[in-house]
Formats: sequence, structure tokens, C-alpha cells
Amino acid sequence: MPRRTSPKRPTASVTATVCFADPKRILMVQVIWDGLFVGSFYALIALGYSMVYGIIKLLNFAHGDIYMLGAFIGFAALTSLGGIPATLSIGALLVVMLLSMVLTGGAGVLIERFAYRPLRGAPRLAVLITAVGVSFSLEYGIAAIAGPNPRAFPIRLEGNVFNIIGARISLPQIILILIAGVLMILLNFYVQKTSTGRAMRSISLDRNASLLMGINVNQVISRTFFIGSALAGAAGVMAGAYYGKIDFLMGFIIGLKAFTAAVIGGIGNIKGAMLGGLVLGFVEAFGSEWFGGQWRDVFAFAVLILFLTLRPTGILGERVTERV
Amino acid sequence: MKITKRSTMLLGVATAVLLATAGCSGGLLGGGGDGGDGGGEESGPIKLALVVPISGSSAPTGAYMENGAQLAVDEINDDGGILDGRMLELDVEDEACDAQQSVAGANKAVSNGAVVSVGGYCSGATLPEIPIFEKANIPMIIPAANSQDIVNQGAKNVFMINGTGKQQSTAALTFMKDQGFKTVALVDDNTSYSKDINTETAKQIEEDGSVTVALSTSVTPGESDYSAVVRDIMGANPELVYWTGYYQEGGLIINQLMNAGYTGKIMVADGSVDASLSEIAGAGAEGVYATMTQTPDTLEGAEDWIANYKEAFGSDPGPYSTQSYDAVRLAAQAIEDAGSTDGDAIIKALEAIDGFEMFSGPLKFTPEHTLSSGGFVILVVKDGAFVLEDDLS
Amino acid sequence: MTENVDTTLAPKKVGAPQSFLSRVFESRQLGWVALGIALLAPFVIATPYALNVMTTAAIFVLLASGLNIVVGYCGLLDLGYIAFMAVGAYTSGIIAKAFELPLVFTIPAVLVMTVLAGLIIGAPTLRLRSDYLAIVTLGFGEITRITANNLTITGGPSGIFGIPGLFEVGDFDSQEPAVFYYITVLVVAAFVLAAARLGKSRLGRAWRFVREDEDAAEAMGIHTYKVKLLAYIFGAIWGGFGGILFAAHLSAVSPQSFIFLQSALVLMAVVLGGMGNMRGVVIGALVISLLPELLRDLSDYRYLAFGLLLVVVMVFRPQGFWPARGYEPERRKMEKLDPALKGAS
Repeated sequence: MPRRTSPKRPTASVTATVCFADPKRILMVQVIWDGLFVGSFYALIALGYSMVYGIIKLLNFAHGDIYMLGAFIGFAALTSLGGIPATLSIGALLVVMLLSMVLTGGAGVLIERFAYRPLRGAPRLAVLITAVGVSFSLEYGIAAIAGPNPRAFPIRLEGNVFNIIGARISLPQIILILIAGVLMILLNFYVQKTSTGRAMRSISLDRNASLLMGINVNQVISRTFFIGSALAGAAGVMAGAYYGKIDFLMGFIIGLKAFTAAVIGGIGNIKGAMLGGLVLGFVEAFGSEWFGGQWRDVFAFAVLILFLTLRPTGILGERVTERV
Repeated sequence: MKITKRSTMLLGVATAVLLATAGCSGGLLGGGGDGGDGGGEESGPIKLALVVPISGSSAPTGAYMENGAQLAVDEINDDGGILDGRMLELDVEDEACDAQQSVAGANKAVSNGAVVSVGGYCSGATLPEIPIFEKANIPMIIPAANSQDIVNQGAKNVFMINGTGKQQSTAALTFMKDQGFKTVALVDDNTSYSKDINTETAKQIEEDGSVTVALSTSVTPGESDYSAVVRDIMGANPELVYWTGYYQEGGLIINQLMNAGYTGKIMVADGSVDASLSEIAGAGAEGVYATMTQTPDTLEGAEDWIANYKEAFGSDPGPYSTQSYDAVRLAAQAIEDAGSTDGDAIIKALEAIDGFEMFSGPLKFTPEHTLSSGGFVILVVKDGAFVLEDDLS
Repeated sequence: MTENVDTTLAPKKVGAPQSFLSRVFESRQLGWVALGIALLAPFVIATPYALNVMTTAAIFVLLASGLNIVVGYCGLLDLGYIAFMAVGAYTSGIIAKAFELPLVFTIPAVLVMTVLAGLIIGAPTLRLRSDYLAIVTLGFGEITRITANNLTITGGPSGIFGIPGLFEVGDFDSQEPAVFYYITVLVVAAFVLAAARLGKSRLGRAWRFVREDEDAAEAMGIHTYKVKLLAYIFGAIWGGFGGILFAAHLSAVSPQSFIFLQSALVLMAVVLGGMGNMRGVVIGALVISLLPELLRDLSDYRYLAFGLLLVVVMVFRPQGFWPARGYEPERRKMEKLDPALKGAS
């Protein structure tokens, strides 16, 4: 089980094994694993982007900051709970994650209601600029409340490191990937099998027709925002617990990356967002392996531009015409 | 385009208003065009400019520096001021670690009639301040910013009382050799200050020859996932990792290195010496070395000073509180020695100073206007706090 | 400046200017009055700090007027506009320092580089959907900054410092704060006027057509791709000149000056002022660049205030505080007033 702080570290055996195997192959396996892990974060956030875009064709620029908000809500909840016994930390984390999901989901609904809904018929430029404004408000609002300094997350996931075909894989990584996977499967079930999910898909095809068929469009859009924001909030708490540091600008870069992932997978497509997240994770891992870490973002954005020019619909995307 | 009657009137009114106010203030007609003449006044408080980060991610350090400087100002004023009873006054301006902000801040300080500048934290923001203060003939005593680029400017009004990147690298290399580290990985965060130490250390290691650089790389600050650099380090498998960036990323990298099963030692540069480092890095920070100038915590006999500081500001002193404190004291001493607030006289006085007692030891400037010895020591993290490990003497 | 005939999201009812205030605001000579005030300001206050702030504000006006061509006239959301300023500043800084030339001699090189940058960024992306374009420009902005930070020729993270002044003739030093301020104000005024003129040209009308309805514009025979690319290139040139002034003003260029926040600030100036209306944009730029200086003590809250302001303005007044007036049906009237408008298609 993960412990809160473990003074003893499982180390020696790992490096010992590394020394005997073929270094090249190990590196590849490690790169793939690191890419998979980061990619699952991207995928969780990309889902929110993709769902919102699919349903109202809005690029929710503030989505990355919802992730940051989730991390700070988790931080506040854990801090107010006080000391948590090490054995309970995974349970406490799950509870706090659920709480954070509900609150960030609510925040998403409020943002949609007050910032985006009044502009539903307005030109895209106006809505996009509003989204930039919401992003700024969230970032600097949190900075005003919690201070501009980075905070250390109260719970730290730590655990054994396994050595699987040459890659170092830690227990927290496995747990987080499992949580991300479960959330994505639940979401897929929701969208494919429930009536709300059907309504979402129908609105993304033709909003007016859906309205005429008796679908409460506003309510469904609110739910979409709730789900997308809740997933980002969950990712925020997970990132806080795994990396241990949160700050008010943490959502900016990852929001861009998640958007890139959504585009690569095919924006508006839920499976595409998951796939795109993983692909971007790999692309970045290999990019920094080949060009050095300081060029990683340049590489990621270059891939985005390449994708947009050569295959704007993404890997799984369908042809989307611009709404005029 | 014809000028109508109405707009002529508008223009006329605007001109009249502007000219009416021109005579009484610092306008071009008012003769105050050069602005930097505040130092020539014969009475009233003597202003010291303190351009430090008040906003942005480096804001906490700015507060520590402001407090340290204020403490010295209060002490000197309580003793009756300088130059026969003139009081000192701090003019605090924000640099926000950004060139544009720092230029505005420096210009504001010059306009306010500052006599000596005692600020400067971010090297990138301090560099463009130099021509402004140089033009106004205002000496700069820089307490924190320590990029070699500042030294290379060769401005005669610049005095640095923090060790330079070069001196920090020398301290790092000395410690590496003392401890017998054979291979070392150098990691910086691609900022001016950090890259400076990285390059300088690599250069000195190469000249020395007894240590090998297994890896020299940069990361992008502000991210969470540093698995790429961790992978590189694990691949190079060095005995020591020297991180020359700030504590935010430093904490993350230490944590991720430890989780990846890194068994070697880690050392950080002075930008990472902050209580938050071990909070972020968790238990992994234990045993991490740091190259740092003396802090009040590690100095013997500084208890009184810490107590004074706590009484004045209700919190413990932090990084660069002592340097800022010393900068103000040094400025006061130099003005007293010069006997005036004239820039040239103060610069002469600063160059002549010998044996002035500071936290880093007795002061005498080199011809380059840097400290003759950086005063760098090695700290180590014990129970989550930095304590003195080796004073390298 | 003459009457603006822009069409935007402006309210459909346009009555004759009623109050004294709106008569003043709609006055044709407002631009000249503003220039007059700018030229006379140093006679009121000429401390180094005031001159520095005013010069910074003037450069910011230049940037905003350039972005107005891209966003306001042509309707292309550019979230990485500061990259063009970076290209201009670095190009002039590197060349001037390497050959020890005064900065004016780097103008041809800056022109070439910024046009190239406009082509490189515009050519592959302008066929994209509008919101994709926003993210791609943001990506390009970040790529430019990170590249400048990583390369040796750009001085790495410390950037370039000790850049020579604009020019020097005998004892006449262009870097004297007051002199530099006047040079900046005159250059900026010329560029703002040129941008306003561009907006009223045949090309300017094509831009507005593209902004209002790209498909219809295409159907009416406008080569939309070419027209959009031209908007980009003009925007890039404006940004590049802003970069030269920036380099000359600070005598140092470093990557931290070109972060996303700066792009966002320029965009805010354009949006708050009123997209497409050059006079509104100038006022917006002055407010955005001077307000933080006036609120130096509140620096941490100003971005929060900006963010909220953006949302509120967009929700309640999507066309900005001072939007462009008039709309195409009025043109017949305008032709009577201004014969220069005739002959355009």
C-alpha cells in the first residue's frame, strides 16, 4: 500500500537489475511507460475539451485551469482534515477526489451559465475571448486566495517500485492509471448507454433538431460541462498527490497539451481524446529523448501544427464543417 | 484634412492646460529634465533604491530582502542617521523578475532621487537596470543577483556583495573533490542565473580534470513531470546530481529521482535553498547538499540578529535578508566615508573599503567590484531544514 | 483621422451623434488632438520614470494597432502576437550588436524577417478553422519564446544586452529619454495612421468581409487566403517595428518579455478598446499599459481584474467599449462626405 511518507526507499535492487540488461531496450520500455503515464493525465483533461467542443463547438480555454482548481480544492480539503494516518491515505485521497470532482463540476456549470451561455449566438471570437478571460480570472483568483507561491500537497502517494521488462514502474503510477481508466470507461458507458448520453450525441449532431425533439438542450449542455470539469478536477487531485507540488499556473501548459491531444485524436470524439492523450504522451517522451528536454514543448506544438495542416480531423475524427 | 474651428479650440485648450502646469513641475520647461538630481540636495532624507520582486513567483524573496534592508535602515536611523543626522529612507520598487518592469522600477527610483541602489534579485531583470543607474551616476550595491553577465558588463558603478556564479561553481567543485565524487550530472532550468552556474561549473570541471561531467542538460521550468530528465540521469548514472535552478522544480526533480530509484547524492545551488524544497521533495530531500552563502540560521553568533528581525517583522528571516541588510549598512558607510551623496565620491569610497564587517566576512572589493571570496559554504538537509555541513575553509 | 466606416458587431441603430461628449469622440481631428497631447506631455512631466512609462505606453499602442489589423479588421484571433515583436527585437538586437550598427540600419533586415515570420506562421495555418488558428498561434508564440531561450545566438535565457541606440549624429543622442520619447511617439503615430488608412482601403474592406462572412467573401471573388495572409504580414510588420523600439528603449532583449501574458495583454487592449476601431484600440492600449503603472502596488490583483473585465465586457458589450461605428449600408452617405471612398469595389 502507498504510504504517506516513507523514510526507507525501495532502491538498491532496482538499479542492480538495470545494470545487467541491455540499456537501449530498457530505455525504450521506460520511455513508453513514461509516455503512457503522462498521456493518461492528458487524456483525462482532453476528454473535457473534446466533449464541450463536440456539443457546442466552443474551445473552452479555461479547461486547464479547472484542473488547477481541482488540485487546490483537494489541497484545501486535505489541509482542513488535518493529519491522516498513512494507512488511510489512499482512501482519503479517493474521498477528496470525489469531493473535488463535485465542486469543479459545479464550477464548470457556473462558468457555462454565466460566461458562455449569454454568448451562445455571438461570434466565435467573442466567446473565445470570454474563455481567455475566465482562464485569467481562475488563475489569478486562486493566486489572490492561496497566494502565488507553490504549495506542497498534504498527501503524497509513495510505494514500491517494480521492474517490469526493464521499466521502473511504481505502485502509485499503476493506481493512478487504473483510476483514470475506470473514469474513462464510466464516461464511455454514460455517453453510449444512458438517455442523457444519447441527448448529448444528438445535440452535437444537430442542436435545433434536438430542441424540436423535446431535449432540454441547456440542461444537457450543463451536464456536459459538469462531467468534463469533474474529470479535470480528478486529474488535478491525482497530479497533486503524485507530483506533490501545486501552483496557480499549473493548468496553463497542461491545458494546451490536452487540447493538442484532443485535436490529435479528433476533437469532439471521446475515444479520440483518450487515444490522442496517449499518443501525445508518447510523442513527447520520444521527442525529449531525441532532442533534449528543453525542446519538448517545441516538439509537441510542432506536431500539433503538423496534424492540423495535414489531417485537421485527427486520427479518429469525422469531417467537421465550420459553422457559419 | 481641414482643421475645423471646434478642433482648433480643443487643441488650444489642451495646450493651454498642459503649458499652465508645465512651469511648476519636472517638465522640460521646468528644468527638471534630468531628474536624477535628488542626490544633490543638502538636507532631508537620503533615499536608497530597492528594486526587488514584489509580485510574481519570486515575490517571497523580495519580501525577505525588503525586511532585511528595512531592519538596517531602522537601526541606522535610531543611531541618528548619517552625514550629521540625515535619515535614510527606502524606496521599494517592483521588478517582478521582468526586464520591462525592472526598467520602469529603476527609472522610478531615479526620478524619486535615490542616491544608492541596494536591490537586484533576478539577474535577467537586474541587467537592464545597470545602464539606467549608470547614466544617473548612482552606485549599485547588488545583494543577490549574481550572474557572471553582470560582472562582464564592467560598469564602474556596480558592486556585487553576493558570490558570483563563478565563485559558487568553485565551491561546488571543491566540495565534489573533497567528497571524492567522480561523475556528476549538471541540470539547470534554462534561466539566466541557473544556466550561468551550470556552464561555469562544467568549465571549471573540465579545467580541473579530476571529475567527469556525465550529463549536462536543461529542463523547462513550471512543469510537473520531469520524467525525461530523470530518465537521462538514470541512464548516465552519476554519483552526484548538481541542480542549479530554483526550489519549485528542484523539489519535484529530487522527488521523481528518488521514486525512480536513484541512489547517488544530490546537490542544489543557492536558488533552491528554501524551506519549501523539502516540503515539495518530501523525505527524498534528506541528505541533499547545497552550495549557499551563509544564512543567519547557519551563522554562529547571529542569534541576536535573528531575534531583532523576528521582533520587527514577526517571522523568521529568509534567503538574502542578510545580504540586503549588509547592502544598506555598506551604502550608509560609503556615504559617510564620501562625506556627500555625490555618485562618484560614493563609488570611490566603496572601492576604498577594506575590512568592513559583513555576514560573509570582512569586505574588500576586487578590481571587478566583486567579493574577493564568495563566502560559499556547503549546507545539508537534516530533518527537513538546511544546516551547515562544510564551511570549505 | 477621418470618420471610420468599419462594420462590426456594432448595434444596428446608428443615430447622429447627440451629446457634446459623443461629438468630441466622433470628431475627425481627435487623432491630431491626441498626438498634440502626447507631444506636449513631456513639458508637464519629464522625470525619467514618467518618460519611461510614456514611451512604453506608446510602444504598446503600436503593438495594439498591429494586432487590430489581424483581429479587429480581419477577425483572426491571434494569441501569440508578441512573437512578431520578439522576432523584430531579436533581429535588430543581434544585427546591431554584431556589426555595431545603430538600430535604424537594421530596419530592412527586420522587415524581411517579420514578413518571413508572418508567412511561416500564416501560410500553413490560415486555412484552419478559426478556433484552431487561435491555439496554433499560441503554440507558435511559445515555440518562438522557447527557441529564443534555447539558442546561443539569441543569448539564451539572459538574452541580448548592451544594444546600441537608434542612431547618433554628432552630439545628438537618440537615447536621451526625452528625445527617444519624441521619436517613439512620431513613429507610432505614423503607424497608427497607416493602420487606420489600411482599414479604409479596398484591402480593408476585403478584410471586414472575410471577418463577417468568409464563405460569402469567397463567393464574391475575394481570394480569402491571400487577404488573410496579407493581414498577418501587416500585423507582423507592425509587431516587428514595435520590437525595434522595444530593443532600443530597454537596450536589452530577453525571452521573459515575450511570454503568453504579453500577447494576452495586447489582445485585451484591442478587445476592450473596440475591435476594428483604431481610436478605441489606441485608448484601450493606453489604459492597459498605464493602469498597471498607476496600480503598481496592487500588481497581483490586476490580472484578476483584467480577466473579470474581459468576461464582463464580452458578455455585456461584445463589441468593446468603443466599437467601430457605422455599417456598410451607410456607405452611400459616406461617399458623399468623402469622395476618396468612391472607385473602390
